[in-house]
Amino acid sequence: MTFTPEVPPAAPDSHPGVAGTTTAFTVNGTPRSVAADTRVTLLDALRDLLALTGTKKGCDQGACGACTVHVDGRRVLACLTLLAQCEGREVTTIEGLSRDGRPHPMQEAFVRHDGFQCGYCTPGQIMSAVALLREDRARTDKDIREFMSGNLCRCAAYPNIVAAIRDVAQRGGVDADL
Amino acid sequence: MSTARELPVVGPALDRVDGPAKTAGQARYPSDFDAPGQAHGALVQSTIAAGRITGIDTSAAEAAPGVLAVFTHLNVPPLPRGPMTGLGVSPPAPLRDDRILHHGQHVALVVAETREQATAAARLVRVGYASVEPVLDLDDPRATTVDDPWGLDSERGDVEAGLAASAVRVEATYTTPDNTNNPLGLFSTLAAWDGDRLTVHDATQWPSMVRETLAHVFGVPETSVRVLSPYLGGGFGAGLRAWPHVILAVHAARELRRPVKLVLTRPQMFTSVGHRPKGVQHVRLGASADGRLLAIEHRGRSLLAAEDDDYEPFAAGSAVAYACPNVLTRDQQVRANVPAPVSMRAPAHAQGGFALESAMDELAQALELDPLELRLRNVADVHPALGLPWTSNALRECYAVGAERFGWSRRPARPRSQRDGHWLVGQAMAGVSYPWYQAPSLARATVTADGHAVVGGSGMDIGTGTYTVLTQLSARLLGLPPERVRLELGDSDLPKAPQAGGSGLTGALGSAVHDACTKLLDAFLDLVRDDPASPLRGSAPEDVLAADGGIRRRDDADRSETYDAILARHGRRELSADGSSTPARPAELGMAPAGAFGAHFVEVKVDEDLGLVRVSRLTTVIDGGRILNEKTARSQIIGGAIGGIGMALFEDTITDPVSGRIANATFGDYLVPVHADIPAMDVTFVGEPDRASPLGTKGVGEVGLVGVAAAIANAVHHATGIRVRSLPITLDALL
Ligand code: FES
Ligand code: FES
Repeated sequence: MTFTPEVPPAAPDSHPGVAGTTTAFTVNGTPRSVAADTRVTLLDALRDLLALTGTKKGCDQGACGACTVHVDGRRVLACLTLLAQCEGREVTTIEGLSRDGRPHPMQEAFVRHDGFQCGYCTPGQIMSAVALLREDRARTDKDIREFMSGNLCRCAAYPNIVAAIRDVAQRGGVDADL
Repeated sequence: MSTARELPVVGPALDRVDGPAKTAGQARYPSDFDAPGQAHGALVQSTIAAGRITGIDTSAAEAAPGVLAVFTHLNVPPLPRGPMTGLGVSPPAPLRDDRILHHGQHVALVVAETREQATAAARLVRVGYASVEPVLDLDDPRATTVDDPWGLDSERGDVEAGLAASAVRVEATYTTPDNTNNPLGLFSTLAAWDGDRLTVHDATQWPSMVRETLAHVFGVPETSVRVLSPYLGGGFGAGLRAWPHVILAVHAARELRRPVKLVLTRPQMFTSVGHRPKGVQHVRLGASADGRLLAIEHRGRSLLAAEDDDYEPFAAGSAVAYACPNVLTRDQQVRANVPAPVSMRAPAHAQGGFALESAMDELAQALELDPLELRLRNVADVHPALGLPWTSNALRECYAVGAERFGWSRRPARPRSQRDGHWLVGQAMAGVSYPWYQAPSLARATVTADGHAVVGGSGMDIGTGTYTVLTQLSARLLGLPPERVRLELGDSDLPKAPQAGGSGLTGALGSAVHDACTKLLDAFLDLVRDDPASPLRGSAPEDVLAADGGIRRRDDADRSETYDAILARHGRRELSADGSSTPARPAELGMAPAGAFGAHFVEVKVDEDLGLVRVSRLTTVIDGGRILNEKTARSQIIGGAIGGIGMALFEDTITDPVSGRIANATFGDYLVPVHADIPAMDVTFVGEPDRASPLGTKGVGEVGLVGVAAAIANAVHHATGIRVRSLPITLDALL
């Protein structure tokens, strides 16, 4: 068995009885056009149709933050967003965070501070953390904790995640070049 | 050669070797894998807790778009139950018959071309039931009970006499609710058959066990089954069994002759992959006027599934926790119509430690003695049951260092005597241990012609840092920089290693890696024994050490050779060695193998008007023997302690007492700690390498959780004067 994720054709007419639609949007800077069942969430589209499995599913109910991505620069829960809602929008996932082949400062800070254990919540934590800095909500540890509370970490790397975010914030926030 | 004994007691804080992959979204978890042509499964679960299925109508589901098959007990042949494992029986086979034993039992699996089709069609399966009143309660007179389920009940001395002789006695009952492991990663199985060969990506903490189970259930040789779990989104015990949904996915893939992927939903995670069972514990303690324990009696009862087993000896830990001449422990399980419980981080000790360490605080209060002083007066300096010295024990140091760091001496004795505005403030502590556990393990180490090492075993890294610490260990033992060592884990084709669980994997697999690396150096020395071109010829293992990508003489640094040079001259592409480890035996050691010890010091603030509890400080000091990596070990302790905060203040799986349905089976309703609940945490390691193994580690995955709930309950008492003996501590108990 090979494990290359297959991109299925997902033609609308392969789902008789359910309307299909084609969504044109940008993912990590690349224009994409995806034909899918209208029930498909942005999360499932990224993972199943575009083979971007870095974004994780922890609940599919909008309660854990594992699926956090950026849509037009704002953090959203991809499991509560339908693919069809993304027409014309720009989506950024964990795979699109590196700059010129180098990890984003937030990714490096998470490694340095051991801001994860199993790593499953990590893409969502990092996407949330990057947005947090843009939102200018990382001024104090208390703020970081409050505004990161939508991202659950069951391994409970919380103190290290806060340390990583504080570190990046102190070094210049989103523009930090570490 | 280089040995583990030359390693530092607390190892360097190397960043995780899998960190770049995890932070880039490149680490692949079971649900991230797909197979060409795969179909998708969706489960249908029972909506009653006890009774029978009177009929299943699958026609609408079968007619729904994309549906390939609907599996029910009517068309699935009887599958054998999985074999006995190192942790007890396998779960019962799925879809055995028409009986319903708990709410949320799998009654059908729908397989369709897409996830959406399978999910939609699962809603079309109509199931008729004849239900009977379920047994859901510990005190239901209809329930059958299992006494001394693990043969761990213990008795020494005479507890009644000890209590009679005591100047001070306390007696109390403590209750703990069902908690759900809830690893963040949804459990997922991708099964693909190729003839008689089966490949499975499964959310397991124990690939070799899943392989054995699937070979047994599906009647194929173990060698034709491969189970992969290179990364897992947590487990906390939920991944220690081959659950019924795993068997179902593999069965469906065989029947349909195409790969089947089944991902549980979050609500299904509450009923399908175990939980920490609720229980009730009764503790009686007696002590002399100067605070010496004269009697400990600890009785525990917990809920168990109707036809399954679970390891949950609440009381057993109390037999060895303190030096006390008279001890009685009793455990009992009560069978009920509940989903199968499973070990959840620090099984039994999470609950047992809450009861015992709460009772110790109550005893200190009754004695008017400082709670820390009470613990110090009763430290078990030798193993209380075996009478043997411990292989290591720095519990006294944990207490001393923790008290110093926390500022214990400034704590007022009287409860409800500190406030910070409208917050009542209190401090308390607990002393804890988590028992030694080790299973046999194999490992292999290989050095390749380019001077790199590949080291591995079938054990997996659940997030504890196994990849990292074994990279560090192998690099050190082989004299290679960590960048030139690659770890292979989480693949049942690799040499058989035990589960990531019981705080035992680092010790077991690490010791096997140690052995493999030692033997690999011996193999290199063998290769050059009579080699006139080698500066190492004729060297014995004790003459050399591994350094700088090869081997050199201890007595002459100039007599050295790199691995790649040796391999090149001998025309070898690589050289491998197999290693193994077996658990230590107390009789041979003349010592009692020690698990980790620790002390937690906690400060809480309780809102006087609202009863809201916040943990404001937590200092934890751990004796984990040798710590291979300070950074990852610290994360283990933090994670465990926060698990303890969750247990103390939030986590409560609520089962409807009539229907047996779990009423809060979502992350919105089942509360777990979030960022805002967690204060800064102070973690320190003390102690010496443990003498039970050459590696000297003791495992730190669970000890961080044990006793935290007690320390918090004790601190709530210190803040408010209110003793809460039932978890979680919610505001209604404090108003
Ligand atoms: S998967 Fe979207 S919030 Fe949990
Ligand atoms: S690292 Fe495991 S859930 Fe956060």
